[in-house]
Amino acid sequence: MLSPERLALPDYEYLAQRHVLTYMEDAVCQLLENREDISQYGIARFFTDYFNSVCQGTHILFREFSFIQATPHNRASFLRAFWRCFRTVGKNGDLLTMREYHCLLQLLCPDFPLELTQKAARIVLMDDAMDCLMSFSDFLFAFQIQFYYSEFLESVAAIYQDLLSGKNPNTVIVPTSSSGQHRQRPALGDAGMLDGVEASLFYQRLENLCDRHKYSCPPPALVKEILSNVQRLTFYGFLVALSKHHGINQALGALPDKGDLMHDPAMDEELERLLVQVPGLVNSITATSEASCLPSRTPPRVGSPWKPLHRSRKLDAESDGSTEETDESET
Amino acid sequence: MAALPVPLPPTKMAAVEKRRPAVAPAANFPDSGRTSVSQAAAAAESEEDFLRQLGVTEMLRAALLKVLEIRPEEPIAFLAHYFENMGLRSPTNGGAGEPPGQLLLQQQRLGRALWHLRLAHHSQRTAFNNNVSVAYECLSASGRKKKPGLDGRTYSELLKRVCRDGGAPEEVVAPLLRKIQCRDHEAVPLGIFRTGMLSCFVLLEFVARAGALFQLLEDPGQAVADRRVGQAVLDTLEGALSAGDMATAPTHYLEAGSRLGPDNLARALDRAASGRRPSVPMAREEFLEKAAALFIAKVKPVG
Repeated sequence: MLSPERLALPDYEYLAQRHVLTYMEDAVCQLLENREDISQYGIARFFTDYFNSVCQGTHILFREFSFIQATPHNRASFLRAFWRCFRTVGKNGDLLTMREYHCLLQLLCPDFPLELTQKAARIVLMDDAMDCLMSFSDFLFAFQIQFYYSEFLESVAAIYQDLLSGKNPNTVIVPTSSSGQHRQRPALGDAGMLDGVEASLFYQRLENLCDRHKYSCPPPALVKEILSNVQRLTFYGFLVALSKHHGINQALGALPDKGDLMHDPAMDEELERLLVQVPGLVNSITATSEASCLPSRTPPRVGSPWKPLHRSRKLDAESDGSTEETDESET
Repeated sequence: MAALPVPLPPTKMAAVEKRRPAVAPAANFPDSGRTSVSQAAAAAESEEDFLRQLGVTEMLRAALLKVLEIRPEEPIAFLAHYFENMGLRSPTNGGAGEPPGQLLLQQQRLGRALWHLRLAHHSQRTAFNNNVSVAYECLSASGRKKKPGLDGRTYSELLKRVCRDGGAPEEVVAPLLRKIQCRDHEAVPLGIFRTGMLSCFVLLEFVARAGALFQLLEDPGQAVADRRVGQAVLDTLEGALSAGDMATAPTHYLEAGSRLGPDNLARALDRAASGRRPSVPMAREEFLEKAAALFIAKVKPVG
């Protein structure tokens, strides 16, 4: 009884609003691709498992990008999966480059576009020094905004450009003494943008945008909160503020608060259990000693599967980064 | 790379189902053997046939109609549930090969009927009525009996299950069950079945609301309420329920609403609290029982 208005919607709108047909179609595609499973388990069982995995958010694992970004639920599920899979990176305190994060993303979604990862990295790094190292949580929260609100941000960028180039009759571009580090950043390629735009004007346009936007956008009240704290701001300044805002993260609902990002005892336990099962990783595990060696197996053991991976990938990137398969969509 | 701690999908099958080649995002049904347009068309046709032959098309159409009828808040979870129930229904689909015993069969039928009954809230009356009919059919189509139909025993059993699962205390709902139950050997017509189920669900909701009401009245520390206050609320409730017994329905609702309005209730509470005589506190069970009795008094007995 959370939203009784759903009962008054026309059929089509109700289905579209909840993406019922998207998932039904996908279920059929999956069924056609896995015909051998049906003879073994039955169709009803197949659909049960499919819809259950959609509910749990595991349905996006290893799927193509077009599916992963198809619905807000899929996007949130992907963010959650990314966080849960690679949380250990943050826990170990490893700093990775944009390309390395992109590799991690591609482990979950093989055709994940480099462009999106680059955009997310730009929010963190605030400039084009794209080979800088980033912490996991910085990247994750920037990536979340960029990925989840992708279409919204594109419209925001267009509005920002409009305001900068003075298309709005009310705009007066006043060169202000912005800090030096911002000056070096040719992010949107326009010289005028270095000074940013006036926040109140920007908000008016964004409020308008939120009203008619058919994709997800952040709660307007929170956008207002961000913009009412400053006089002027730049596009990336705005994105950084979005990515660091608690309330927006909560409203999106995919990730925990920043403080709890590394805290997931249930997952840690599960991870421990899985690591024990990997042969060769932990050499002295027997059935009887498993419990007794748990306490001793703290950071170094958890970290161990990551270190060689990290180092070898880094070497690759240093020696001949240009031959990487992900290079074709270079900006 | 293989050792990545990817959270595993719940079942083996689900894991397989996700490994889809990422090379053909444009094609609807990526098919490795497909090379030309004509082949693609043939494949699409055969896929359609395939789906129709298996009954997938029909199955999904029925599911979609159900979703539209009920409009669940969480349609995807609803669909998962829907297909799960369907899988249980047909033992050929992965069920155990052994034919289940009579008792088990009866339990399964009850479970299925209950599932249908709970699909829609009773305020969505059309959907609820449809589901009641389906549940009725589920129960009456028993292979064992010579004559189809629902007997009183099954009906009573179902009523009991509904109440038990509804979480209302037994002594609270017992008077209603006594009123609407049929004799074990009696045949239960659909009309009676429907009324019985509806009163049962409404009572459960009524009791749940009464429970919430009591929570407001009770002393946080002692889990009991002041008897005078509790009684005042009950009296107001009774007054509202008996208001305009003769009147036509719409005015009746209005009057009941006004009697239960905040000022009326506040006045009653005020009067009660100013009364001086000290009293035994009222426990939750007693409050619920008395509140339920007010409702049950309105239910017409069966037969």
